[in-house]
Amino acid sequence: MMHQRRHRSRLFTRAGGVILAAMLPSAAAAAEIELPPGPNRDLVYGTCRTCHDLQYLKDSAGIPKNAWSDLLDSMKQYGLRIPPDRRTKILDYLGTYLGPNPPPAPTQAAVESTTAKVDGKTLFNEQCSSCHQPNGAGLPGNFPPLSGNRDLMLNRLFPAYVVINGLQGKITVKGKEYNGVMPSFAHLSDAEIAAVIEYVRKSWGNDALRPADMAPLDAAAVAKVRTTPKTPDEVHAYRASLKSSR
Amino acid sequence: MSNDLSRFLMSRRRFGALAGAFGLAVGFAPTLISRAFAQAKETADKIIHGKSPELIIHNAKLGVTETPLELLRKHKHTPKEILFSRYHYPHEGNAAWYATTAAPPAELVKNWSIRVDGLVKRPRTVTIADLQAMPQEQRVAVLQCAGNGRSFYAAKQKVAGGQWQNGGMGNVVWEGVPLKPFLKGLEMEPSPAARWLTAEGWDQPATRVGTDFAKSYRLDDEALDHAILALKMNGEPIPAIHGGPVRLIIPGFYGNMNVKLLTVLMLAAEQSPSTYQSMAYRMPLVPVEPGTFGANDYTLENSRPTYGQAIKSVIFSPLPSDSPKSGMVEITGVAFNDGMAPITSVEVSADGGKSWHMAKIETPESPWAWHHWSVKTRIGAGEQTLMSRATDALGRTQPINGLARWNPRGYEWNGVERSAVKFA
Repeated sequence: MMHQRRHRSRLFTRAGGVILAAMLPSAAAAAEIELPPGPNRDLVYGTCRTCHDLQYLKDSAGIPKNAWSDLLDSMKQYGLRIPPDRRTKILDYLGTYLGPNPPPAPTQAAVESTTAKVDGKTLFNEQCSSCHQPNGAGLPGNFPPLSGNRDLMLNRLFPAYVVINGLQGKITVKGKEYNGVMPSFAHLSDAEIAAVIEYVRKSWGNDALRPADMAPLDAAAVAKVRTTPKTPDEVHAYRASLKSSR
Repeated sequence: MSNDLSRFLMSRRRFGALAGAFGLAVGFAPTLISRAFAQAKETADKIIHGKSPELIIHNAKLGVTETPLELLRKHKHTPKEILFSRYHYPHEGNAAWYATTAAPPAELVKNWSIRVDGLVKRPRTVTIADLQAMPQEQRVAVLQCAGNGRSFYAAKQKVAGGQWQNGGMGNVVWEGVPLKPFLKGLEMEPSPAARWLTAEGWDQPATRVGTDFAKSYRLDDEALDHAILALKMNGEPIPAIHGGPVRLIIPGFYGNMNVKLLTVLMLAAEQSPSTYQSMAYRMPLVPVEPGTFGANDYTLENSRPTYGQAIKSVIFSPLPSDSPKSGMVEITGVAFNDGMAPITSVEVSADGGKSWHMAKIETPESPWAWHHWSVKTRIGAGEQTLMSRATDALGRTQPINGLARWNPRGYEWNGVERSAVKFA
């Protein structure tokens, strides 16, 4: 009874909010915060930013590994859902590179050598699924679905613009409105971005949406997108221009 | 990975673009930028419309900001432009409307309702117009984050989370409908089994599996006798970022207890199962040590919620940034507690605790407001440790060793204030 009533009143007031959100300029996206390079840093980027930005991690640097472990446990209550092996990797990174005695900054080669093989599905699960969900269905109201999302096929490069720069602003996907802030995933390599986008384009029946003449994304194409950075707002405007030209 | 360079170039471009806008010189080297946790210079006004760009940002996505003492001390009542803010969920999407110091939009206010429900015969729904038609009362009260001063615990063992200094507080004038007469006036006939009052806000977690924000209070807690359903802050409708159109204000209680965007008041036999009540914002009942009591070891039995504010004083002048001169110096600051007993003394030391002077305390605006204090003393040149310690009529005082109250979530810092200031 309690839950039902509460839910109803929430929906009621939320409905007001949906209309009114358009009246206010949206807040600026959080500036990208960089954590020290180290193995599995990408997992942290792909996991923690669903609910908060990385400043909490940066500012907490120096706490011991057991405190990081407790923190990961407490995040469960705030909604964190990760498999045990990923938790272990994230904890290793946090306890080492944001621990009391972080190692000196690794050389470029050391960071490169730790990078796992490029696999679109694994990357999706590690980097995208905490918001877009492992089945690509998203969370209505909060995170748009990728399954059946026609934006994926706006043109060959568009999804790469989103992944590299982030996206901010009101969009409608499969009839539902979203007005969130997707952060930049520029920490992924060109090959990784190409692989994860192609994975999404082939999954959950999305291949049926694909124009026959759309060539697969590759690292070289992503590298080109990277050379013309856009703000998340500009990506939003770019999306609108692609939509209207169709 | 062949494109690490492009990755860094990306970072540089982003950083350069933003830093350039703020007139910062940008030096660049990949190792340097990593080691220094490179961060583009974000300012609070870009995150929350109407906030001062001088605020300290603890988390941009959640709109968590702190007031530098240099700004805080300028005002008798802390203006909305500089008052600290702390939400628990991103102000994005449907929640983007509250990232502003402006009042909530009129249509939203018109449709706002508070459900008063639970172990009662007649549940009620109350609108803002209903509340506005009821008698209003004013409360001047310190609003303070329970995590204010968390950074000071690092001297024992750093605690995760926003590293608050002293500026997670403000002295605010609230105005609204007294809670107890309000509940009585609704004639809901609560069951005698109702022992707890739970307040919930409109805001929702980023994902469905996240815990909702809720706070529970014992209905017989005398602090509730002074609580109001506040509609105004500093004489105007409560800014959205500070919980308008209606916020439960319990004078003397830590910030998190003053539920923003109030939509539900529930009378129940038990307290809320929300993690924010059962695990977060709690203090262990006995002293605990790092490594032996963790952030998830709290139970309803071994800990209590961060209700009333522990007695505390903060030095407003001189601050290290004042670069004061030696000689006769006036030291000023504020003190406050939970309002349950008058503050009877503030002792001040200018020599690291070797000698103490009794400060003069101004009559406060209310039991819960800032108590301004001042004392003049001769201070020699060089770096001196200024200290202040408040004590109330119940004998409650600030511990000389604030670290004795170390706790794994870093709440309720109230150690004797220490500030190293260099005198010319």
